[in-house]
Amino acid sequence: MKRNLYRIIFLSAIMMLFAPSLVPAQEKTDSSAVQESRLTFSYLCTSNDSVCLTANLFVKKESDTYGLKNATIEFLSTQDNKFIPLGSAVTDQDGTAILSVVINKLHPGKDGMISYTAKFAGTLKYTKTSATFIAEPAKLRLAFNVQDSIRYLNVIGTRKDPKGQDVALPKETVILYIPRLFSLLKIGEVALDEQGKASFEFPGDIVGDTLGNLNIIAKIEENEKYGFVQGTAIINWGVPKQYYKAEVPSRELWTPIAPLWMIITLIIMLAGVWAHYVYAVWELIMIKQASKKDQPPL
Amino acid sequence: MENNEKTLLKEFAPQIERTGIQGYVWILFLLAVIGLGVYAFIQQVTKGHIVTGMRDNVVWGIYIVNFIFFMGVSYAGALISGTLHLFKTAWRKPVIRMAEFITIISLLIGPGYILLCIGRLDKLHYLVLHGRIQSPITWDVIAISTDIFGCLIFLYLAILRDLANMRDFEELQLPKWRKKLYKILALGYTGTEEQKKRLERATNIMATMVIAIAIIVYSVLAWIFSVTLQPGWHSTIFGPYFVIAAVYSGSAVLILTMWFFRKVYHLEEYITKKHFVAVGVIMLVLAAFFGYFTFSDYLTKWYGSEKNDELLIQLLFKEFYWPFIISNYIGVLLPLLVVGIARLRTITNITLTSVVVIIALWLNRYLIVIPTLQSPYLPIQDSRVEWNIYSSTWVEWSLTAAGIALFCLLFTIASKFIPIVTVAGNTQEAKPEDVLV
Repeated sequence: MKRNLYRIIFLSAIMMLFAPSLVPAQEKTDSSAVQESRLTFSYLCTSNDSVCLTANLFVKKESDTYGLKNATIEFLSTQDNKFIPLGSAVTDQDGTAILSVVINKLHPGKDGMISYTAKFAGTLKYTKTSATFIAEPAKLRLAFNVQDSIRYLNVIGTRKDPKGQDVALPKETVILYIPRLFSLLKIGEVALDEQGKASFEFPGDIVGDTLGNLNIIAKIEENEKYGFVQGTAIINWGVPKQYYKAEVPSRELWTPIAPLWMIITLIIMLAGVWAHYVYAVWELIMIKQASKKDQPPL
Repeated sequence: MENNEKTLLKEFAPQIERTGIQGYVWILFLLAVIGLGVYAFIQQVTKGHIVTGMRDNVVWGIYIVNFIFFMGVSYAGALISGTLHLFKTAWRKPVIRMAEFITIISLLIGPGYILLCIGRLDKLHYLVLHGRIQSPITWDVIAISTDIFGCLIFLYLAILRDLANMRDFEELQLPKWRKKLYKILALGYTGTEEQKKRLERATNIMATMVIAIAIIVYSVLAWIFSVTLQPGWHSTIFGPYFVIAAVYSGSAVLILTMWFFRKVYHLEEYITKKHFVAVGVIMLVLAAFFGYFTFSDYLTKWYGSEKNDELLIQLLFKEFYWPFIISNYIGVLLPLLVVGIARLRTITNITLTSVVVIIALWLNRYLIVIPTLQSPYLPIQDSRVEWNIYSSTWVEWSLTAAGIALFCLLFTIASKFIPIVTVAGNTQEAKPEDVLV
C-alpha cells in the first residue's frame, strides 16, 4: 500500500512538472467578452501619382498582438467636414488592408492638406475603430546623368499646390536605398535645395542583377507634413552579378556530382556492409543446403 | 532439442498458444489508439500541414522528435544485443531477444514519422530520382535502408534456433499454417555441427555489423543537424552525443520492456533483479556520459557568447525551463542516484527511473529541435509571430500516441510468435544464481 502511494506521488510529480511547459497554445481559452480592436494607419505617396493607404487591424492578447484577417476596412478622405469614400479593402492574415488611390481623385483643403481616414465597423467579437492621417501630396522623381565619367543620381521633389500644380519641394531630407535580400541597403542621404533638387554621386561598387540593374528607392520618411513619400527607378549602374561556378565538385546545391572523396567513401562503406550481408545470407542458404544433405534417403 | 529447452518451451507455450481476455482488451486498446492516429493522419492528408503546429520557421515538430527518439531506441537495441552477443555475456539470454525486437520494431516505426513531416508525399520518389549524394538527407535514406536490412538479417539469425525449436516441439497446440510457417522459416535447421558453425559465424559477423551500422547511422542522423548552420546544432560532438543519447534511451526502454513482460508473462524466474541491476548499471554509465556530453556542448556554447547561441540558451532557461531541467538535470542525476546507491537499487525504482529517462531523452530531442528553429540566425522574409512559435496540435499528439501503440502492438504480436526469452542455449547457467552483475 505504502509502495503504491510512493508510486502515485512519484508519477504525479512528473506529470506536474510537465504540465506547465507543454500545454499547447491552442488550449489557452479565449475570453468571450468583446475585445478591443486597434488600427494603425500609414500613408505612402508614390512616384506614379498615387497614394498607398495601409491600415493594420489588430487585437492585443496578453503581451502579444494578433492581426485580424478578413475584416473590411473602409478608406475615406475628408473635405469640408464631409467624408468622401475612397474605397475599401479586406485585411489579409496579418490584419493588413491596402488601398491605392490616384492623387488626382483626391480633394485637398485650402492649405493643400488631405485628411485620410481608415474605419473598421466592428463585429460582435471586436470593437469598431478608426484612425486618421493628414498629409500633403508630394512626389519624388529620380533622374540619372554622367559627367566626366562620374555617375550622378538626381532627386527632384515636388508637391501639389492648392490649384493642383506641381511646385518645388524644398529643404527636405531624402534617404536613398537599394533593396537587398532581407532589407533595404542605405546608400546615402541628400537634402533638397530651394528648387527641390539634389544630386548624389553614385557609388560604382554595388552588385546588381546579372545585367547590373539596380532598383533605387528615394524616400522622405515620417515627415510631419508629407508623411512617407517614395520615388523609384531602375538603372544598370550596378556590378553585374557573377554566379560562382564550382571548378571542382563540392557540396553546393548547384554542383551536379558529389566530390570524389565522398563517392569513394560511400562506395567503400556500402560495399563493405552489403558484402557482409550477402555473406550472412549465403551462410543461411548453406544452412538450408546442409539440412538437405543430412536428410535420410527415402 | 535439449531437455532444458523443452522445459522452457513448455513454460512459454501458453503465451504462444492462447491470448486471454486481458490480452484481447490490451490489443483492442492499442488498435483504438492506432485508429485515432489513422483519423489524425487522414485529417493531415486532406487538410494539409496546417492542422499541425509546424510553420515556415519551425518546420520540424514532434514528428521529427519521435523519429530521432525511435531511431535512437532502435540503434540502442542493436548496440546492446550486438555487444551482449559478441561478449557472450552470461546473463544476456533472458534480455537479448527483447533488445533484438526493440531494434527492429523501432526501426520500422521511426522512419514513418519522417513521412509525416513531408508536405508533398506525392513527390517522395524525387528523393531517389533526384537524390544528391552531397546531401545528408540522402545519406540518411541510404543509411536507414541499409540498417533495416542488416537488423532484419541479424534478428532472423538470432531467432533461427528458436524457430527450429518451435517447429520440433510437437506438444505446441498451434494452427497448421503456423506450424508450416515455423517449418519454412527454420530453414531445416537441426543443429548439426556444420549448421551450428555456419550460424555462429554469420551471427558474429552480423552482430559486429549492426554495432558498426548503428553508430554510423545515428551519427549520420546527428550530422543532418550538425552540418547545418543553426544555433545549437552546428556542433562537432553531435555525432557521439547522439549515439550516447540513443543507447541511453534504449537501455531505459529495455528496462521498461523487461518489467512489462516480467509482469505480464510472469517471468520472475528468468528476468530477475540482477538483470535489472545489470542493465541499470549500463544505464548509469550512459547517464554519466550523456551528462558529460550535454555539459560540454552547452558550456562551449555559453562561453563562446555567440549572439544566437546566447539567445538559444536564454530560451532554454526561460521558455523551456522545466523540460530543460528534466532532460539535462533530473534525467542525468536520477539514474546515478538510484542505480548508484545500493539501498535504492530495486526493480521498481530502476523501472521508474527508466520511465523518467525515457521522458527526459524525448524532451532532450524536443529541446534540440524546437528552440533552435525558434531562434534562427536569419529571419525568413515575411516572417510572422505565429510562425516562430511552435505549438503541437492534437493531430501530432494522436500520431505520437499511435506510434507508441504500434510499438506495443508489434511487440505483443512478436511475443506471440516466438518466446520473448531466448530458449535455444538457455541453460542453467543463465539462471539467476549465476547471473553476473
